[in-house]
Amino acid sequence: MTDVRAPETDPFDPAAEPDDHPRPGPSSPGAAFGPADWLKWGWRQLTSMRIALILLFLLALASVPGSMLPQQGSNPSGVQQYYTSHPDLAPWLDRLGLFNVFAAPWFAAIYLLLFASLVGCVVPRTFRLAGSARTLPPRAPRHLARLPRSAEYTTALPPQEAVEVAARVLSGRGFRLRRPDDADSSQDWVSAEKGYLREAGNLLFHLALLGVLVSVALGGLFGYKADRLLVQGQSFADTVSALDEWHPGRFVTAADLGPFTIKLNRFDASYIASGEQRGQPSSFDARVTYTEHPGGPARTFDLDVNRPLSVDGAKVYLIGHGYAPEFTVTDARGHVVYKQATPFVAGASGNFLSEGVVKVPDAQPEQLGFTGVFVPTAVNVGGTLESVFPAADNPAVSLIAYAGNLGMDSGAPQSVYELDTSAMHRLTASPQVLQPGQSLKLPNGRGTVTFTGYVPWVSLAITHDPGQLPALICGIASLGGLLLSFMIRRRRVFVRARSGPSAQNGTTVQVGGLARTDAGGGFEAEFAGLAAELRSAHEQAAPARPAPSAQPTRSAQPPPQQAAEPRHEGE
Amino acid sequence: MSVNVALGHVSNAFLIAALVIYSLSVVAFAGDFAFGRPRRAAAAAHGQQARDRAAALASVGAASAAGAAADQAPAPATASAAPADDAGTMPELEVPALRAIREAGRWVVAAVVFAMLGAAAHTTAVITRGLAVHRAPWGNMYEFITALTCVAVIFFLFAMIRYRVWTLGVFVMGAVVVTLGLADTLIYTAPGDLVPALQSYWLDIHVTAMTLATGIFFVPAVLGFVYLWVDRYTRRVAAGQAAPGNGIVRRLPTIEQLDRLTYRTIVFGFPVWTFGVIAGAIWADQAWGRYWGWDPVETWAFITWVLYAAFLHARATAGWRGRRAHYVQLLGFASLIFNILVVQVFIAGMHSYSGVS
Repeated sequence: MTDVRAPETDPFDPAAEPDDHPRPGPSSPGAAFGPADWLKWGWRQLTSMRIALILLFLLALASVPGSMLPQQGSNPSGVQQYYTSHPDLAPWLDRLGLFNVFAAPWFAAIYLLLFASLVGCVVPRTFRLAGSARTLPPRAPRHLARLPRSAEYTTALPPQEAVEVAARVLSGRGFRLRRPDDADSSQDWVSAEKGYLREAGNLLFHLALLGVLVSVALGGLFGYKADRLLVQGQSFADTVSALDEWHPGRFVTAADLGPFTIKLNRFDASYIASGEQRGQPSSFDARVTYTEHPGGPARTFDLDVNRPLSVDGAKVYLIGHGYAPEFTVTDARGHVVYKQATPFVAGASGNFLSEGVVKVPDAQPEQLGFTGVFVPTAVNVGGTLESVFPAADNPAVSLIAYAGNLGMDSGAPQSVYELDTSAMHRLTASPQVLQPGQSLKLPNGRGTVTFTGYVPWVSLAITHDPGQLPALICGIASLGGLLLSFMIRRRRVFVRARSGPSAQNGTTVQVGGLARTDAGGGFEAEFAGLAAELRSAHEQAAPARPAPSAQPTRSAQPPPQQAAEPRHEGE
Repeated sequence: MSVNVALGHVSNAFLIAALVIYSLSVVAFAGDFAFGRPRRAAAAAHGQQARDRAAALASVGAASAAGAAADQAPAPATASAAPADDAGTMPELEVPALRAIREAGRWVVAAVVFAMLGAAAHTTAVITRGLAVHRAPWGNMYEFITALTCVAVIFFLFAMIRYRVWTLGVFVMGAVVVTLGLADTLIYTAPGDLVPALQSYWLDIHVTAMTLATGIFFVPAVLGFVYLWVDRYTRRVAAGQAAPGNGIVRRLPTIEQLDRLTYRTIVFGFPVWTFGVIAGAIWADQAWGRYWGWDPVETWAFITWVLYAAFLHARATAGWRGRRAHYVQLLGFASLIFNILVVQVFIAGMHSYSGVS
């Protein structure tokens, strides 16, 4: 941590430089190196700074593929695409866990080893800090001028009193003092030490990182994530069957879900209408009514992108939205067999050109199915519909009708966004475009489909993460520890007083100081200020008694260290 | 709220002005190398400085004693001279900043004046941009780079004047001119609004912290290159090999000074970066329902954090001090730049707001 070495003082922080000392390894000439020795050796290696450094690099390196390849957790469709485009490579990457790097065993191995190394380093240091808080600073070195910082002046006070005054000043500045005891040959000195919080801050930082890891694990084990698509005007209860997707933690069961209900009353999205950013969303607002538990009072809330709803220990986020065109389908008998809003999902082409399917299993004589495109602001470009704006300024749908067997009875799960046309035949040769209110008559008297209008839908993410608050607290604690360890320096100041060769010369006061750890710099200034304060305290104390001599105090030459290396001293 | 187009033009004009004035400052810093008077720093390693300093201190002592009470003895030594005037002054300020600049020669005076004027114009450009768009002016990549270079310049000027490292000006200011020039020509984005996911006060906090940290890290990155250069030169000289650049290296700070300055700037930036990551996690939690999701940009912010943490540890590890530690911090800055220039633009993720197409 520092280039400044203090003579005649113990090292402050042996743990900071563990690698400076050669360690006995398996190669060391010894009689028997048993399993216990190997374990000890392995643990020492693991907790050495060098290994910690290597693990840090590995951690950084191991994270890289997690950002370069699509990840199962955040981008499952990207993984699918990768499989399609690289059919040979993808299975191998998958075997190596590269599509789920941050849950891969080798990634866990790195961070667990790193944290083991951290524990092995931090725990002994905690004990050492606790020990050093009980032990006194070391005795003052004999030659204070050899310390990185030193000053010398004379005072009229006798040595003992001069030391007394200095001790009062240092104690007033919050230093811990050590005075000579009976065993000491010389009695006119005082040692002072300050800045124990630096090491405490450093330890706090590392322990808080450990806390962050534990919090993340807590969230993973006891939390859950769920998704739910909610069409305007509809409501749902937070139960497993009502959720589109549910990813519970290891120790979460369906019974842990809070049965709150949410109803989407209204959703509004507005968009920038002109300029370079035309079509970019400018605001979202989802007005919901919710009840904390069945039969509880209904409350309203404005859900926004950066404003989640906290309900019953869970948080509900607005993460997406879209359009749900409403269709009414009558079959050959004239019965209304379908009448509902059907969520369509925006594709990649932008401006909420959305795709979806309508499945009408109850239609007679054959089941009906439609694949459709919803266009919020439709413009006909060369026979194909394009959307030129995301708001529904000129909505239209384009439908292709099918009849036959939807395949919904086969038992295999079906996506509500895909139509299995393998057992169906096409009824319309080309896509049919409908405006709101328009109907499409299906050929051969099979019925009609009417595009009656549209409503918006929102997709909600529901998460419960018990590790969230602990993670935040640990994050803040780590930052606090970091600041403490960077801003506070552990420093020692020594004062020695010697009576001169004759009473005429008064007493020579020597002040010496060193900072073992001074990351932010500034000990020079602090020491200079302290030396000045000591000096003026001595001067003030002196006139109380008749000075032995009228000779003014004289300063010594600046100590050699100070002149030789004036800047950036002592970190 | 609509964008104030006229104010946007004012901002652009100030930015061009800042670029021009910065360039002049680079020229002046280079002129100091070519024609400036030999610097004490050059002689530091050879002990010449000790004599210079002793002389300078004697004159300071005399000067301050003249103004002090007559019965006071001449201020004794360095220990109590500096704080007698101002308890808050830095030890490096035994000679007051203004006088130190003057003593550094007229090329340095010109360079510092230009750099400060440029920084004023630059700051004005950032502020007017913010006023034009009614939000914190670091919402897309062009604005981000404009703001971070502004931070870098102000932070560097502070460090340069505090530690009297005039000769580093040409490198840092040169890098700023190149970065800002490229940003203005390649990725200029007209003032505009933000998408709703970016309309949060946590955006302001998160991105402000990231902008500050990046601007701060910009300085040690440049210093790292200077360090490696001086290090290589020193090793070649020690090995008796031909070492070009003698005239330049002799004027640069010593390798220990470069190392400490780099370390201190990184120590300054690291907690800011850490705070930025935490603020980003809070924002992510509010916007996306999770505080950490290994989104590509998050992953790279994490990699940067780990690498700078590795630098801090490397400096305390035998065998890693010096050159290797500086490779680590340069790697950290490279990962930061990679995040801004490559990940945010080319890799899909939730941070794709750079406004660059």
